[in-house]
Amino acid sequence: MGVNLSKGQKVDLTKSNPGLVNVTVGVGWDTNKYDGGKDFDLDSSVFLLAGNGKCASEKDFIFYNNATGGDGSVVHTGDNKTGEGDGDDEQVNINLSTVPSTIEKIAFSITIHDAESRGQNFGQVSNSYVRIMNADSQEELIRYDLGEDFSIETAVVVGELYRHNNEWKFNAIGSGYQGGLGALIQDFGLN
Amino acid sequence: MAINLVKGQKIDLTKGRSGLSSVMIGLGWDPVAKDKEKKKSGGFLGGLLGGGGGGGASVDCDASVLLLDEKGKLQSKQNLIYFGNKKSQDGSVVHSGDNLTGDGAGDDETINVNLSAIPPSVHKLVFVVNIYQAQQRKQDFGLIQNAFIRLVDNSSKEELIHYNLTENYAGKTSLIPGELYRHGSEWKFSAIGEGTLDPDISSIANKYL
Repeated sequence: MGVNLSKGQKVDLTKSNPGLVNVTVGVGWDTNKYDGGKDFDLDSSVFLLAGNGKCASEKDFIFYNNATGGDGSVVHTGDNKTGEGDGDDEQVNINLSTVPSTIEKIAFSITIHDAESRGQNFGQVSNSYVRIMNADSQEELIRYDLGEDFSIETAVVVGELYRHNNEWKFNAIGSGYQGGLGALIQDFGLN
Repeated sequence: MAINLVKGQKIDLTKGRSGLSSVMIGLGWDPVAKDKEKKKSGGFLGGLLGGGGGGGASVDCDASVLLLDEKGKLQSKQNLIYFGNKKSQDGSVVHSGDNLTGDGAGDDETINVNLSAIPPSVHKLVFVVNIYQAQQRKQDFGLIQNAFIRLVDNSSKEELIHYNLTENYAGKTSLIPGELYRHGSEWKFSAIGEGTLDPDISSIANKYL
């Protein structure tokens, strides 16, 4: 059984799961419950952050057009354009043991593509979550359901993996932004 | 001071207002450019060009409420509150009646809700505005402007929530302005603001059966 986190909660990942190396980070959401709306395209992205909380270069911003980073230790499995169906809508595979030592944190975000022109925000998205699985056993270790935490935001940093005394921990951040992916990219030191 | 919502926004209603129970949901709308339509309908060209404008018949919007259970289902027809069934069985939701024209300022139709008397089986109140006989009259929400939903505390008469539906709903025959829903032990409001192609209220109700 995975641990269900609430906003702001921090938990051990590798300490409580000895030997854990390969993890899959899955994000999911449901949208568009009324038939009149435009399609939603939500995107997950990953920011590999140095000790100062910023990306050292554009290579550290992993998304559907730059699916691999951290010397191959972080792989985004691709874009899902509709969010239909059960289970994870997008996934990122990470080999924790080969993440470059300069990377202190790995932040995960969900943003709404073209949110402004489509008049969309997270109030119209339901059941969004982030979860971390043991990639080898497919066991779910950690889950954070975003629930009612957001409404008018168009970008959310759902959580981050971070180094702590030679271990990896996970922080259920849940910070919302209204400027979409663009605001996040700037926030993480890229243009 | 009312809080003006934008589409998609969700807001606490009862949290921080422990005494709140009796609320009025007001729904309003106006016909578009009524003066122009009147002038046109008098002349020969008006008769030709006015064909797409609903044939000159006034647009009759109706407000309704669907009382849904935890799974988002309509358990019985008694849980659809509209001009033909104005009161829920326990009396916690009461529709004040039909307005045929949408003329005049302020609320066009109102629904009174006693939150504390809503049965535990009801988890969500979905408010709907649809155009009466939209297909027969060839009318849609392109003929309507300034639609809003607001929520007033009946004891203080204070407007707590106001949401103006600012999108263009041309082609749509039903609107879902918003929802009241349980969240834990509290009630929240969600500004939905979606148009649908449902021709009438029973078409909407069928989706929740």
